[in-house]
Amino acid sequence: MPSDDFAFATLVELGRALRQKRTTATELANYFLERLERIGPRYNAVVTVTRERALAEAAQADREIRQGKWRGPLHGIPHGVKDLLATKGYPTTWGAQPYREQMIEADATVVEKLGAAGAVLVAKLAMVELAGGKGYTQANASFTGPGKTPWNPNYWSGGSSSGPGAAVAAGIVPFAIGSETSGSILTPCAYCGVSGVRPTYGLVSRHGAMALAWTMDKLGPMGRTIEDCAIVLEVIAGKDPNDPSSVARGFRMTTSREAKFKIGVPKGADKDIQPEVAANFRQALKVLEDKLEIVEDVELPDLPYGAVAGMIIGAEGVSAFDDLLKDGRQAQLTAPEDRMGGYPALAISAADYIRALRVRRPMQRALDDFLKKFDMLAVPTRTTVASPIDKPFREAWPGFTGGANVIGPTNVVGVPGVSVPNGFGVENLPTGLSFTARAFDEAKLVTLARLYQNRTDWHTRRPPVPTP
Amino acid sequence: MEISRREFAERLALVAAAPWFLEDFKPPPQQQQTQEPSALAKALAETVRLRYPDRFTAEDLITITRSIDTRLRQIERLYETTLTNADEPDFVYSVYRGAD
Repeated sequence: MPSDDFAFATLVELGRALRQKRTTATELANYFLERLERIGPRYNAVVTVTRERALAEAAQADREIRQGKWRGPLHGIPHGVKDLLATKGYPTTWGAQPYREQMIEADATVVEKLGAAGAVLVAKLAMVELAGGKGYTQANASFTGPGKTPWNPNYWSGGSSSGPGAAVAAGIVPFAIGSETSGSILTPCAYCGVSGVRPTYGLVSRHGAMALAWTMDKLGPMGRTIEDCAIVLEVIAGKDPNDPSSVARGFRMTTSREAKFKIGVPKGADKDIQPEVAANFRQALKVLEDKLEIVEDVELPDLPYGAVAGMIIGAEGVSAFDDLLKDGRQAQLTAPEDRMGGYPALAISAADYIRALRVRRPMQRALDDFLKKFDMLAVPTRTTVASPIDKPFREAWPGFTGGANVIGPTNVVGVPGVSVPNGFGVENLPTGLSFTARAFDEAKLVTLARLYQNRTDWHTRRPPVPTP
Repeated sequence: MEISRREFAERLALVAAAPWFLEDFKPPPQQQQTQEPSALAKALAETVRLRYPDRFTAEDLITITRSIDTRLRQIERLYETTLTNADEPDFVYSVYRGAD
């Protein structure tokens, strides 16, 4: 493989190159380290390049591969993690100035698992400060600056996994780990034109990850293809004694099945949204039409998803960062609106928070009863393309007030979702197609998304090469 | 697109919950007019000010009061869902016993 193609190769292709000895783990590590340092700053995508660790891990991988000890499909493959995952020997900044020098001398479970699979950590990637938990309303909300999509750096990469989205899209890491409390994996996937999986809550250990809302945080893979994401998810899923919310289930990518998928399209999913986003969504369903039985205008149970989410993220978020409020370091945050975030949540009563947790249980059951009528729901991942980085989100694309409310409710109850690129819209910015299913139905989501990528080439498109 | 008062309240709640909901839940412009915050919101904002008396400008306190007011409007919907005494929160407390 010509080395220029490493940047946009899939994990399967990189693994094949390693096994066939057309490259080495050290050569791959050096290749991506150079790209991280040269290209990463253009998109504010990188916090720390983990050069020493990367070269040590790559050298070990090369020794093992030479000895015929093959750890699996991630052996020798470089990757990055959102900088909310603890890693030994490097700062873990949570994207926030007050934590810029924070050292956590242990690896998060996900980092450990990737290391055990032979993957090579090359970078800690940028993120919206504190994963957006303080209520940012515009893109410049990280000490690394606004995340920029490689498709047009005047536009946002999405958040809060801004660095993982931009880094995968720009070909500066082959895959990355992001996190989602409510939209933080799927949104950057859509805005950066990459693939991602938001796993079921508990499928992937949160141990060693910054907490925003303990009962809603999820970690998941972001990559060039959904197959790449599935390969990574197989490695990171599973029970962890250090995370009591983790479940004793793994994930295995299943082979493609021949049956049709029953798809619910929520009412209003493509109404009053950007026309290009709507057109790409319908075209994507058309690509799969021989495999789909589509049920239009389905309606989620009428329950207070927003109220529950607001109460849980507010109360858990203010508690998770109570030290920051107490000592006043919150004033050091980048986004002015984040400096006031959290204070209003001090007024949440314990009774109301507990009420939200009690309401969520029947909400889970009602949404599961609804989702079991279908194999999955399909929606445009976001209702518009990325926002300009110099405008508040509210003012970015006025007039598009439609779309279906799926990201919010499905995050509140913790069911899985995927996003894959499905075309381009305004300003030639990417758009995303999202599928959502019942808890632990990731394999079903991956199967259909993989079929879609087998029939389209959106995931192979490369952003324009920037002028130096 | 016309939305009901109830849907509008839900959208407001989601906006307050997290900004990444914004694109799906932007209230129509005619419904974005600011209302005078409730007396309860003002009182609760005062408790925040008393907790950190030296931190806030008058403008900050307006922002905090409005945010509390928005959240209070969410609470109404939380209590519309019927629950019984037996409906527990969705976490399970488990007892701990360390090594002997």
